[in-house]
Order: sequence, then C-alpha cells, then structure tokens
Amino acid sequence: MTHSNVTRRRFLGTTAGFAGAAALGSLAAPAIAQERSVRVLTVGDPFQYSLRELLPEFTAKTGIKVEFEGLGYDALQARLISSFVSKTSDADVINVDQMWAGQYTDNGWIQPLNDFAKGDSDFNINDFVPETLHSISTWRGNLVTVPVASYSQGVMYRKSVFEKLGIDEPAAGWTWDQYKEILGRIHGQEVDGVKMNGTVVCGAQPVPVVHMFSQLSASLNAPWFKAFPGAETWDFTPQMNSENMKRAVSLYKELYGLSPQESINYTWFDAGTRFSQADIGMFYWWSAYFTLVNADGYMTGAPSKVKGDFGIVPCPQDGTNPSRVSLGGWSLGMPSTAGRPEEAWEFIKWATSAETQKAMGLNDKFGHMFSDFSRESLFADSDLLEVYPFLPQARAMLNGADGKLARPPAPIYTTLEGIFGLELNKVLAGQSDVDAALEQVNTLYTNALSGNFMLPYVQPSFNDTFDATKALIASLA
Amino acid sequence: MSHAQVAPARPNRLRAWLPFLLIAPSVILLLSLVLYPLLFALKNSFYFWNLQRSAEPLQFIGLANYKMVLSGPEFLPSLTNTLILSVTGTIIEFALGLAVALLLANRLPGMSVSRALLILPTTIAPVVVGFLFRYMYDPAGGLAGWLLTLIGAPPPAEGILGSSTTALAAILFADVWQWTPFFAIVLYAGLLSVSPSLIEAARLDGASAWTMLWRIKLPLVMKTAVIIIILRFMQLFNTFDLVLVLTKGGPGLSSRTLGYTLYQQGLVDFNIGLASASTWIIVIMVNILVTLYAAIAFKNWEW
Repeated sequence: MTHSNVTRRRFLGTTAGFAGAAALGSLAAPAIAQERSVRVLTVGDPFQYSLRELLPEFTAKTGIKVEFEGLGYDALQARLISSFVSKTSDADVINVDQMWAGQYTDNGWIQPLNDFAKGDSDFNINDFVPETLHSISTWRGNLVTVPVASYSQGVMYRKSVFEKLGIDEPAAGWTWDQYKEILGRIHGQEVDGVKMNGTVVCGAQPVPVVHMFSQLSASLNAPWFKAFPGAETWDFTPQMNSENMKRAVSLYKELYGLSPQESINYTWFDAGTRFSQADIGMFYWWSAYFTLVNADGYMTGAPSKVKGDFGIVPCPQDGTNPSRVSLGGWSLGMPSTAGRPEEAWEFIKWATSAETQKAMGLNDKFGHMFSDFSRESLFADSDLLEVYPFLPQARAMLNGADGKLARPPAPIYTTLEGIFGLELNKVLAGQSDVDAALEQVNTLYTNALSGNFMLPYVQPSFNDTFDATKALIASLA
Repeated sequence: MSHAQVAPARPNRLRAWLPFLLIAPSVILLLSLVLYPLLFALKNSFYFWNLQRSAEPLQFIGLANYKMVLSGPEFLPSLTNTLILSVTGTIIEFALGLAVALLLANRLPGMSVSRALLILPTTIAPVVVGFLFRYMYDPAGGLAGWLLTLIGAPPPAEGILGSSTTALAAILFADVWQWTPFFAIVLYAGLLSVSPSLIEAARLDGASAWTMLWRIKLPLVMKTAVIIIILRFMQLFNTFDLVLVLTKGGPGLSSRTLGYTLYQQGLVDFNIGLASASTWIIVIMVNILVTLYAAIAFKNWEW
C-alpha cells in the first residue's frame, strides 16, 4: 500500500527538493567558513577539564567558536612536533610544558607574545606571580607563553597519624634530615588498623621519576650543568656526578625504601592516589595534589579517606641553606603557523585571565580540582579561599621557586630527561648503585650534548635570571 | 617493403611488454610504500637530524649514529629481551595454538561458540590489551595477583610489572593471550584441509593418535605453520605497544625491547638520525634471522 503513494512525480519532486537544499547549503558554506573560530590543543591535566566547562562562556563573550582537544603527555608532544616539522597549522593555541618552551622558540615553532601582551591593557601582566612567568613562560628575554596552571612542590602529611604516633607537626624551615627521621618513625607502624608506609615516591621512568626527584636535587643545590640558564655564557658541561647530586639520589633511594615497593612503577597520579588511600604518612609532590588528594580518584567527585585529615607545609631545606622549590606547569602558546593569531590571543588572554581562572577554581562538576593559580589576586580571593583555604600557604611556596633551576630547559631536555629517568629507575630497582648510575648519566650527557653540538656551546647565550624576567614584565606592563 | 616487414612485429612487441605493463602499478606501489621509506631512513641514518635541535638534517656524520646505537647501554639488554620475547612467544603461541586447533578439529560440543570467541582477542588493539592487563596486574586488587596468591605463588612486593623478574614475563603473557588464537585459527583451517580418508586409512592401519599427529597432521599443516611462525616472529621482534603501556621498558631495562628503544629515539627524543640507524639495524637483524629460519624450514620443499 505504501508503494502506491510514491509516484514518479513525487519522487522527482523530492529529489529536486534535496538537490535545491544541497545547493543552498553550498552557497551558505562560505558564510560558515567566515565564522570566527580557534583550535586549541591541550594536555589532559585536571585544569583542562575545568577549562573545557567554561568554553561556552568564551564563545558567548567573543563570538569565537572553540575546537578543543586534550591529549596525553607523550601524544601531545609527538603531535606538536609532527605539525611543527611539517609546517602545518594543527592548532592556533597549544599547551606547552615548561621545558619545551625554549626548544620550540629557538626552532621558530612558537612565536613570542611580547607584542600581543604589550598592546593589550586587559592582559594585566603585573598580576602574574613573577616566579611563574620566569619558570614557565619566558625564554631569552621574551614572553613566549602564558601560564594556565602553575604547580610548586610541597609536603602533605596525615594529621591524625602524626597525632596518634606523637609526632610534632612540621613547620617551614625544617630539613630533609628531619623529614627522613619522621618517615622512619611512621614506616611500618599500625594506625587505626592500617599498616603505614612512611612515604610514597614516583618511580616510573623516564618522566615521572625525574619530576619528583628534581625537587631534591634543587633543594640540595645540585645543578645539571656548569652554567645554565643564569649565566652570561652558557656552558652545558654536565655536573651529574657531583657530590650534591649523589646525596640527592641517595636520599631518593632512601625515600623509596620507606615507600610501598610497587611505587617503583608509579606515575604522577599513582603517587597522589596512594596518599588518598590513607596508608601513607607524608609525601611531597606537585601542589595540584593539595586539592586532588581530597577526591577518591580522578574526576569522581567522591571524597577520599584523607579529606580533611592532612596538613600542608613547605618542602624541607638542606640544613641551613635557603629553600629551593621546583616550579612547573603548563602554559598556552601560539604556533608560528597559527592561522588565526588574533583569535588565538583572545583565547590565551581569556583562559589565563583572573576571571576565568577563578571560575575554573570554583567549577564543581567533578569536585573542586583546580587551584593552580598563577595570578597574585587569586591567592587572596575570598570565594576561592572558602574552597581552598590553603591558598596563602601555596602562594608562600612560590616565593623564590625556580623551575629553570630544578629542571633546566636545555634544548635537548627530553633526551637528557630520558637518560636520567632510566638511571634513577635503575637505582631504585637495585640494578645500579648511586655512584655508577651518576657516572653513567654524566658520560651519556656528555655524549648527547657533544653529539648535539652543545659542547662547547657556540650559539648566543642569554643570562636567564629572575631579575631578567622582572625587567621583561616591567617592559610589557 | 620495410613497412610491410615491420608492421606485423607490433602486436608481438605489445604482447612482450604487456605483462610488464600490467605488473607495473603493483611494482610502483610496492616500491613507493616499502622501498622508498627504507631508503629514506637509510639516508637519514648517516645524518645528524634531531628535531629537538632543527627541523632539517644538520650534518653528514657517517656511521656515528650506528656507533651510538650499538654502543648505547640499552642496546644489548634490549636485544636480549627482544630475542627472549620473540623466540619464547612464538614457540608458546605456536604450541598452545596447535593444541587448541587440534581440540577444535575434534568437533566437540560447543566448538562453534569457542571458534567465534577465539577470534575476539586478535581483534583488540595491542594498546587496549595493554590497558586490560595493566588492571589485571595492578598490585592493589588486580586479578593476576589474586590468582597467583590463591595458588600459593604470591607476586613480588614491587608488583608483577614493578619487578625485574616478572615484568618481561608479564608482557609475554599478555601477548600470548592475544595471539595464541591467531595460531589456533590458522592451524585449525590447515587441519580442516587434511583429508578425512587419510586419517581413516591411518586409523585402520592401527596408527595411534600421536603417530597420526606427528606423521600425518603436522607435516600437512607445516607449510602454513612455517609462514605464520615467520609472521609472528617478525611482529614480536618489533613489539613496543605492550611495553609502552605496561612497563615503559622498566624497571630499569628489564623489559625494554628494541622496538621500544626505537620508539623512544624517534617519537620521544625525536632523534630521526639515530632512530633511522636503529631501524636499519633491526631490519638487517630480522632479515638475517628470518633468512636463516627460512633456509632451514624450506629446505627440500617442493613448491
């Protein structure tokens, strides 16, 4: 019966209608193409989920549509390098890890943002904590990215465990010897029916182990190179077998001995999640975990066993030497091939603005999980303080923090990190001793740096100091 | 006169060239897809080309990349692990696959469902298999640890993936789980081609099940077996995805393979020159091993 309704005339008419609609659609296509849009490629860190929630607000405010994509750490770098080398415009805004910024800029893959920042009164560069810009976003005296999530490192400890074991809560100015001594008192004790581990380390090679270890090498004043980056003339002669580096690696191995043994395979989040399970007395890690350990897993929103039962304190220092804190994080940059630079800057400015960062911090869709601010004003914001009461402590930890000291952004950083991460992992696994491992690292660094024409370094140097960054900020304000 | 002599030769010339013309597209495709990348890698292997330093090759450095690969501290452990993984994996997968194929050929109840289920693991991407096994090996409540404890062989304190003694075996087990069905299905297809009358005749002659397997079934599926053994060996020799997801080659160098080292050099360190040299070293090694194997396996074969 239905067949009888489909006449040839009706069929031809319908077909003509579709053809007409298709033709009109093709005429409308140029109008759609003229719509303002921006492509953003980010890493899948917690900040990205908070930012993603706010994208409709950006579009409503600016009329710019956003294509937003989040990738894993390795995948992001592979994708970026691939697009840089092929000179294709994969994205208009990209996430840049702090150690990639120098390499990307020197190769001309991302463009300095000085002109954008200087000509834009809304940007308010003076509101940024200078240490974050210095560690994450400057290279050779230029602003090359803008911080979107800044992390320092600090210690988290279980208040109830300290109380039950009669251990005094630590305070700023304490030392690594005291830290180790407290861990020894906790390790193996049973508290509320739970057998405690003193601490937990991040042992997975190559990147995670270096991230956690480098706080120790910074604290113990063990630089990677002879003179970089704060030097008139850069000298990349490796210093990986120095006495201070040996002390730092020995201490890290001792900390592993006071950790769950499976932490040899732990990545960033594994270590944080383990603390949330309430069988760790104390550990130091990126400040992002001041918030993340409150949740029982990534983006679950469910409270963890340690929520409300942990304190925060600055990392210990080496004897009476001043505290040196690792500062890392993610920033937003603009590829040289960006097809829509104006829109890209609009997005960078919006995503890193105090207003957006505050909204990211207050976003509660997966539980509050973003407190990694870079702007001075946000650390004193009353709304944010209600959610993140530790913000004044987190701000204090940024004072004097220096990411370039902890993990120097040398042009072949990824290779060097791979070498170091492997040897650190071998030390933890008992496959190498500290002296042999560091001799090996020093030799391999020498080979890699020589092979990459960095020993001797004949290209122009830049005395990359905190003062140089402050001068840059003043010039762009 | 000369025209009259030349004219008849044209169709002959066309006929002579026709096979070459017909095969030309395939040859061109093959050359462009296989030979060109290999030659491009060969050229790059003699240059210093690190994308962390420059988007273009910077300098001709002769055999320096090869020297760096062969003298690197990770080369020998990677080679050893790769050989252990490829040889052991191929043998285990073949043996288990043959056993499963023989079971399938017995037409027992439920075999059609088993055949359908068998194909499933081979359809999963190795990266996904890696994640599945990562959860199974998880020291905090993973299935593998629980099962091992149940049978009185608890996993190491560092976890199955965190211990130097078990990390490589854990990768091997995941690979065996995924690829044994591949052997089983292909060998089962080979067994189906064995004439039932041949088996019946052997049975009437009083041949035991073992004799029938060893003297009749295995020789008849051997040509298929030799080919899939080569294929799996080459795949296992290049294993990197399971290593990447499960252990990243660790702890230390305990589970690092040549494939993972190549991935590290090319896609993490972006050292194209070094990765190209590694590629050629692997190509040469695999070809030597496969040629030796083929020379032995194909000896006295009639094609």
